[in-house]
Amino acid sequence: MTTKTILEVRDLSASINGVPILKGMDMTINAGEVHAIMGPNGSGKSTFAKVLAGHPAYEVTGGSVLLRGQDLFAMPAEERARAGVFLGFQYPIEVPGVTNSAFLRLAYNTVQGARGRDELDPLEFDDFVQEKLALLEMDPAFLDRSVNEGFSGGEKKRNEILQMAVLEPMLAILDEVDSGLDIDALRIVASGVNRLRTADNAILLVTHYQRLLDHIVPDYVHVMDGGRVLRTGSKDLALELESRGYDWVAKEKAGVAA
Amino acid sequence: MSSVLQNLVNQPYRHGFVTDIDADVAPKGLNEDIIRLISHKKGEPEWLLEFRLKAFRHWLTMTEPAWANVKYPKIDFQDIIYYSAPKPKAKLASMDEVDPELLRTFEKLGVPLHEQKALAGVAVDVIFDSVSVTTTYKQRLAEVGIIFCSMSEAVRDHPELVRRYLGSVVPYTDNYYAALNSAVFTDGSFCFIPRGVKCPMELSTYFRINTQESGQFERTLIVAEESAQVSYLEGCTAPKFDTNQLHAAVVELVALDDADIKYSTVQNWYAGDENGVGGIYNFVTKRGLCKGVNSKISWTQVETGSAITWKYPSCVLLGENSIGEFYSVALTNHHQQADTGTKMIHVGRNTRSTIISKGISAGSSNNSYRGLVRIGGKADNARNFSQCDSMLIGDRCGASTFPYIQVHNSSAKVEHEATTSKIGEDQLFYFAQRGIGTEEAVSMIINGFCKDVFTQLPMEFAVEATKLLGLKLEGSVG
Amino acid sequence: MSETLSNGHLDSLLRGQSRLPSSARGWLDALRADALEQANALSVPTTRDEEWRYTDLSPLYQKSFLPAPSAGTVAAQALDACLLPEAGCRLVFVDGHYAPRLSSACADPALGVTSFSDALAGQDPTLQANLARHAPLGADTFVAVNTAWLQDGVQVRVHAGRTAAAPIQVLCLSTRPDVVAYPRLLVVAEADSGCTLVEDYVALHGGEYLTNAVTEVALADGARVRHVRVQRESTSGFHIGTCGVRIGRGAHYLSSAVALGARISRFNLNIVQAAEGAESTLDGLALIGGRQLADMHSLLDHRYAHGRSRQLFKSVVDDEAHAVFNGKIFVHHGAQRTDSSQQSRSLLLSPRARVDSKPQLEIFADDVKCAHGAAVGQLEAEQVFYLKSRGLDEAGARNLLTFAFAAEIVHRIPLPSLAAQLERIVLQQTQKQTSDRNRP
Repeated sequence: MTTKTILEVRDLSASINGVPILKGMDMTINAGEVHAIMGPNGSGKSTFAKVLAGHPAYEVTGGSVLLRGQDLFAMPAEERARAGVFLGFQYPIEVPGVTNSAFLRLAYNTVQGARGRDELDPLEFDDFVQEKLALLEMDPAFLDRSVNEGFSGGEKKRNEILQMAVLEPMLAILDEVDSGLDIDALRIVASGVNRLRTADNAILLVTHYQRLLDHIVPDYVHVMDGGRVLRTGSKDLALELESRGYDWVAKEKAGVAA
Repeated sequence: MSSVLQNLVNQPYRHGFVTDIDADVAPKGLNEDIIRLISHKKGEPEWLLEFRLKAFRHWLTMTEPAWANVKYPKIDFQDIIYYSAPKPKAKLASMDEVDPELLRTFEKLGVPLHEQKALAGVAVDVIFDSVSVTTTYKQRLAEVGIIFCSMSEAVRDHPELVRRYLGSVVPYTDNYYAALNSAVFTDGSFCFIPRGVKCPMELSTYFRINTQESGQFERTLIVAEESAQVSYLEGCTAPKFDTNQLHAAVVELVALDDADIKYSTVQNWYAGDENGVGGIYNFVTKRGLCKGVNSKISWTQVETGSAITWKYPSCVLLGENSIGEFYSVALTNHHQQADTGTKMIHVGRNTRSTIISKGISAGSSNNSYRGLVRIGGKADNARNFSQCDSMLIGDRCGASTFPYIQVHNSSAKVEHEATTSKIGEDQLFYFAQRGIGTEEAVSMIINGFCKDVFTQLPMEFAVEATKLLGLKLEGSVG
Repeated sequence: MSETLSNGHLDSLLRGQSRLPSSARGWLDALRADALEQANALSVPTTRDEEWRYTDLSPLYQKSFLPAPSAGTVAAQALDACLLPEAGCRLVFVDGHYAPRLSSACADPALGVTSFSDALAGQDPTLQANLARHAPLGADTFVAVNTAWLQDGVQVRVHAGRTAAAPIQVLCLSTRPDVVAYPRLLVVAEADSGCTLVEDYVALHGGEYLTNAVTEVALADGARVRHVRVQRESTSGFHIGTCGVRIGRGAHYLSSAVALGARISRFNLNIVQAAEGAESTLDGLALIGGRQLADMHSLLDHRYAHGRSRQLFKSVVDDEAHAVFNGKIFVHHGAQRTDSSQQSRSLLLSPRARVDSKPQLEIFADDVKCAHGAAVGQLEAEQVFYLKSRGLDEAGARNLLTFAFAAEIVHRIPLPSLAAQLERIVLQQTQKQTSDRNRP
């Protein structure tokens, strides 16, 4: 592990309702890097994202994950968030009656407090969040609406990236952030994510389609199947997957093993 | 996950202490002699004694209502004290002469009785067991012609007004508990807002039951004359006893042409312990009459206490274009039972009503919404919209919705919607992933669920209600 | 309404019951005796009973009807007019008596159709195992009275794993006034079976009479039953019907209940979702005018997890008619992941028309999705305006929208001939409304 290492996943396995999903995941993510995980449906991509974030439905059955050298699994979900792990949800949750602004401000102040920084009062926070809204080309009226309630698919995804922009995570895991987006919305979401990239943070994209990677260019592409990473390569691997599908990766891996 | 939520809802009751004070207590039991005694102690005129006796004789012919979705052992009405008053120390001339023990009691309850300490902009009438202890800001209100005093004083000082309106909205024949109240009511608040006056401050009454064997039977009457406006608040608490106390109040509101009455309640009577022992039986009749054209009556209630709540603040929309509103949050926990809702009786043309009810059930409690919307044959173009949502926390509680919709006019439009939701694991995870812990998440979700009701409360009360719900549901809510 | 009047009516309903001949099986005699006791214990309902608060039966209680001693005669032409061409098997009751001669033989190997008397004579335990189990006696006086008078009825078995090739039509004809008819039907759909059943109540006269019908439907695991019920009694008649349904694991019951006739009608649809994954889809339509009263009561009892139900009840009420809807959804402790929704919509066409609606939710499980909605009113002004902006006149626009409102239910009936018949009736009714409205 170097000082640049943000996340170190070793031989991770996890199950849901007793059914094993992850079966020996390995991955190292350093600051300043963008990683993409691709793979067919049911390969365990989304499970990996949720396990890292601490979803209560999943049980970790083996292996370890270190976040900046600290045991990730010793922390409940909210502490992981405060430590800088952000999950952009594939299906963001609706919270009727709770406004976006109240939700964002509570989340921001909680995370800031945990990092020993000053909290913002409502007026200061409003100034702060207005900049972030502009980044994602979002209407300020959006702040007065209930969290995700009645949002279109594109609005929900933009809202996830807005939250990411506000919370400034060390590691942003974006689960199928491109699903359900038309090309304009994809462009806005991707440019928002690109602008949030720094030398100190890292991004893990979970996606089914190569098209997202035209907009957010990854340093590494991992192909997952059967709960493990079968192959890791450069962004060219994604193009190869696009043209050849996933089957060959598994076959090649099996060939190597044999 | 359920148990996490359940722990959050189990919070101690903070108003459960008893005040040690000398009281003037009538013997237990109910008969004509007791009623004469109450009337005599209060120095009432003959007509009021007659009113009480008629009500009592009628009550004897009635049976307890059994239709509500609540269960409790039969009440022994002969085992209740119908009059209990802190012993007066001569005649009170000023605030300083209120028994210091009582001052301390209300201080502790967050209701300071000294005007300089009291919440600016809120006048308070304070009822301790059977009698009014004091009323603040009376003079300032009198300057604009508003009468705000205890019912006993009103009977003494404004008998013609009391006589004109008492029982005009809730006749003593109305129901079992209204008849009982009419026979034995001891005190309560009286507000009269004369024509054209907009009440410059919030009026409020704080009810406190202190004596273990006594019941509280208060009677509140609010009259808003033409174009008058008033916002009235009611709060209540009681000590923790392992027996049940009966609270059977009657509240009557009268709104004349263009008048506007807003009545808000935060009900936090002792609810009994986690095994359902003790707590108040809260059997209350509240009704407003929109008598004049363009009048408006709005009920807002936050019901968190009482072992049993049986309460249907209602509006009779008589005047053309009159408006009735009912906004309610009812929270039940442990073995609490609530059967609450409203009646919107549309009589006049172009009358409108809105019902927003939010029920939250936890523990082994039972929470029912029961509402009636009746559109009479002459209520042309009447409109009603009702939204009744329930939230369940844990799988041992129950939530029921019983709306009665009666439409006898083809130009009416009535819409009722009801949904049930829960605080889901996924919702809590979403909050956690944004760094927000379970407690705060639950409080935020619940407050979001209740928002449509809380926004109806006057500012000071909204903060109070949010806090109260927070206390009931968890440690801290901002 | 006086106690004497209602009690007198119960006495008159039960007069002569003791002279019923003993049946071939002791258990049936015992069941009848039990029913008689229950009927007496319950007495007949009045508006003081919560379940009857909007439906005043005193006009019925002023009458005294006895069961018809035998089935009346039915002209072939009259019978033919009532038959549905799609039906593969037809079962005819006349004045409450099962009429095998008018019924058709059932050749479908998926079905076993037997009269109760044949079933009692044979060894099939189905009847005893199911009769009065799905429409329990203790809940309703009229069910108890029907059971007390139980002589003959029809049992339909749908064999396991089979699906009936064509719908079964059960035709209940009234041929004469002043009698009470007690039709009784039992449908047992065995595991993974399927059928479509049409229950049709028709009067061949305009007199006063009472139909007190009870149907029980049991769906074993994986069964699917489509049940259409059309009540087109004479507008002088009284109709009280109960259908008790039990739904097994993964089984699906679909019902369409249409009420057109009777001076006073009441239909109780009581459904127990008795295993995980049970599902029901209930449609209802009342189309009434004059001084008719149509009362629809549905009770949906979700007892196990993963149940689902959908309900849509509509009424179109004209003149001085009165529609009553009561829909109760019950979700028991443990019935997690129940997904239940109910909508009731009423359209009032005349100033004297009246609707009483009482949807109810009673929920004792926290992980459920339940919703109900009730709306009473007139046509949407926006919709009327939209059609007018497309060139229709006011009356035409209203007619079309009223028709569409009612036809939504009719169009979901899977028998084209019946749907077409009902559509014609809806059209006539709604057109009549239009011309009435335009009268000066």
